[in-house]
Amino acid sequence: MKLRKKILLLTVTVLCISFLAGAIYAMTEEEKWTQFEGKGITLNFLTEDTPAAGAILDLLPVFAKKTGIKVNVTRTNVGDLVTKLMLELGSGSSEIDIIYAARWQIPPAYSSVLVDVTRFNNDPTLPHIPMDDFFKPHLISTSYFVDKRRQIGVPHDASTLIWFYRKDIFDKYKKAFMAEKGYDWTPGPNLNWEQYKEIAQWINDNVSEVKYGAGHMAKQWNSLYCDFSNVFWAWGARGFENPNTESWGVIFPGRCLWDSPEAIEAAKFYKDLINNVAHPSCPSWDWSDLAEAFAKGDEIAMSFNWHDFVVTFEDPARSKVPGKVGVALAPKGKDGKSHNYYSGAALAINSYVPEDHQRAAWLFLVWQASIPVQKAIFKKGSTPVRKSAYQDPEVRQWIAEKRYPGAGIADVMYEAWKPENLEYVEAKMPMFVETLIIQYTELAYMLQGLKTPEQAMKDIVDQVNQATGWTDLQEKLKQ
Amino acid sequence: MPILKNQQREECVGKYKRMKKIPTEFWMVLPALIVLVVITVFPFIYTVQLSFKHYPYIQVQSHIRRVEWVGLDNWIRMLTDPKVGRYWIVTLKYVLGALSCEIALGIAAALLLNRIRIFQDLLTTLSLSPMFFAPVLVGLLGRYMLHDSYGVYSYFAHQLGLFENISIFGDGRTALLALIALDIWEWTPLVTIIVLAGLKSLPREPFEAVSIDGANAWQRLWYLTLPMLKPVLLVALIIRTMDILRYFVKFLITTRGGPADATKIVAIAVYDQAFQAWRMGYAATLTLSMLIVTIVLGIVFVRFFAGMGQE
Repeated sequence: MKLRKKILLLTVTVLCISFLAGAIYAMTEEEKWTQFEGKGITLNFLTEDTPAAGAILDLLPVFAKKTGIKVNVTRTNVGDLVTKLMLELGSGSSEIDIIYAARWQIPPAYSSVLVDVTRFNNDPTLPHIPMDDFFKPHLISTSYFVDKRRQIGVPHDASTLIWFYRKDIFDKYKKAFMAEKGYDWTPGPNLNWEQYKEIAQWINDNVSEVKYGAGHMAKQWNSLYCDFSNVFWAWGARGFENPNTESWGVIFPGRCLWDSPEAIEAAKFYKDLINNVAHPSCPSWDWSDLAEAFAKGDEIAMSFNWHDFVVTFEDPARSKVPGKVGVALAPKGKDGKSHNYYSGAALAINSYVPEDHQRAAWLFLVWQASIPVQKAIFKKGSTPVRKSAYQDPEVRQWIAEKRYPGAGIADVMYEAWKPENLEYVEAKMPMFVETLIIQYTELAYMLQGLKTPEQAMKDIVDQVNQATGWTDLQEKLKQ
Repeated sequence: MPILKNQQREECVGKYKRMKKIPTEFWMVLPALIVLVVITVFPFIYTVQLSFKHYPYIQVQSHIRRVEWVGLDNWIRMLTDPKVGRYWIVTLKYVLGALSCEIALGIAAALLLNRIRIFQDLLTTLSLSPMFFAPVLVGLLGRYMLHDSYGVYSYFAHQLGLFENISIFGDGRTALLALIALDIWEWTPLVTIIVLAGLKSLPREPFEAVSIDGANAWQRLWYLTLPMLKPVLLVALIIRTMDILRYFVKFLITTRGGPADATKIVAIAVYDQAFQAWRMGYAATLTLSMLIVTIVLGIVFVRFFAGMGQE
């Protein structure tokens, strides 16, 4: 009798669990999205002021209607954003729910504070994102730090340095240049960096529409590091010994390799380019100044800048060159490949916020990565981060008709984000910003003629090794 | 029970009498003292103790390294780092360049305004206007006015054949001069208003006496006005010295310390260490060095002017 009772109890329990599990699995897609309706949840989202953030801001009423969740968005420049996030997360604050996680600063500093989103993506009561639909390099470099099993974000934007040029000037003088130099100067990976410099010099000498051929963002700041990186990687130089430094991220990057012969050659080339060929104002330009100079129309014919600036260039209110802008992949490097510098960001969830806020934030992450929102981002001038968005018939039509600013660059960006063309130049390590300051300061000394390229590179290596702890480690090993 | 109550009452009365001995003024000042301790004394003590620590903010959060008591390491690092010496030289150039011009121009403007009889108040108010701009705005204005491509000042300079192939903020020779010029534009009015107030308070009798004795305008200025203005000038100097060492927003907006550290003042180095490299211990040490220099300069100015007064 007792055994029968036990069997009955067990059967009832199993049935109950199955029923509950079934009920959960049977949750309709709509129920997953509306589970927080009427609970009065408000999420705080801190982000950089990007076109993608602008598009999302416009669509927030749609999200609120779909989920019943209100989202407050604060937009600011990347410097202030990082400072605020560092202080907020460092103090264990739960004020911000959704974080714009700039890949070079937030994951290395606070990966442990960011929620592992894998558990939400595998949760049957929540909608999920097909992660393989993101560009793999974006996913790796924005959404992981060291631990390959722990995903701490969802790719959100994909700022990439791209070659902007004046299509009208390149078309007008194409034959004249070819007659003199003997090759087609249409920008792209068919050209190398020496040819890029030659083209810039030729424009200086022969083109009246602009004052100089090339402009670069060589201000003693992050922009100088980014601009130099274009050349640095093209010459085959590497930043650190540890090959995962730029992709998955590292705690200790190993020895700094900026004194390699390739790095020194790249520095020599860059110094000559900036000091003797490019616009003389380059040492005072960051990326915004460079974009303004390009948009002004009569300053420069070529520049390497973040692809999002296409929105500025194609806006007649802010630019004198709409409809005249061409984009191309970076010139090929010494290895024959085009190296394009990527610096995107993921959206992440603050683990200090309560569980229901975390789950609500996940809904927001899924929504912002959905194809309709990705298409809205495209309309705003930016570029989607989901591969399937580029196969969407409507998007294909926009690209063919060049209907939105992003349409003119979409195919080039798609090409740039292929693993063989992409470089993640910023090192993903806790002490990156400290090393960054050292690198751009020494590069500025070189450009001002106060140090030779060899000296500057050697000084970078000495100081960076000190900052990363490599020098200390070597001394301890000797003992 | 009643005995216990009596004892308690006596204790309360005793306490009340003891408190009554404390003067009323103390209780009136106490709230202000508490605020002062909270907003100045505590942060100061915290900064001092931070300067003896290795406090790598990022690493702490990543659980890689811990906060460590490092004694005088930060101070030794600061005193032996040649870069810090260079930052101080830039700071000194900036302070001397800006202060000397501001004091000279401020005195000149105040003398001029003091002589003007019509619309004096209006002109004084208008001349003060740059001072009311937020430093951020001054930085932005400077950046756009001196922009190589579309800056209005750059345009006129180019028309005069100046800076044609030089970027004003991109060249080590001109960037600091441009920033000094911006500071002079913004803060000369402060010196002007302080000196003008001083001029208004000067007694008329000595001036009348030396005029009768045949002193010319220059002699009146050099032997009478300026010596009598010493206390006022001291105030102006001390206020401006404290400000000029602290303010760095203009630098952050225009040059960020570049090119090649040509405009890297100590305050920018503090910002870089604290909010870029997140090394709070070392940043605290640099901050305290700024405080020490400000105090020393203050003492020097006071002694210098006191000495002049005795002469």
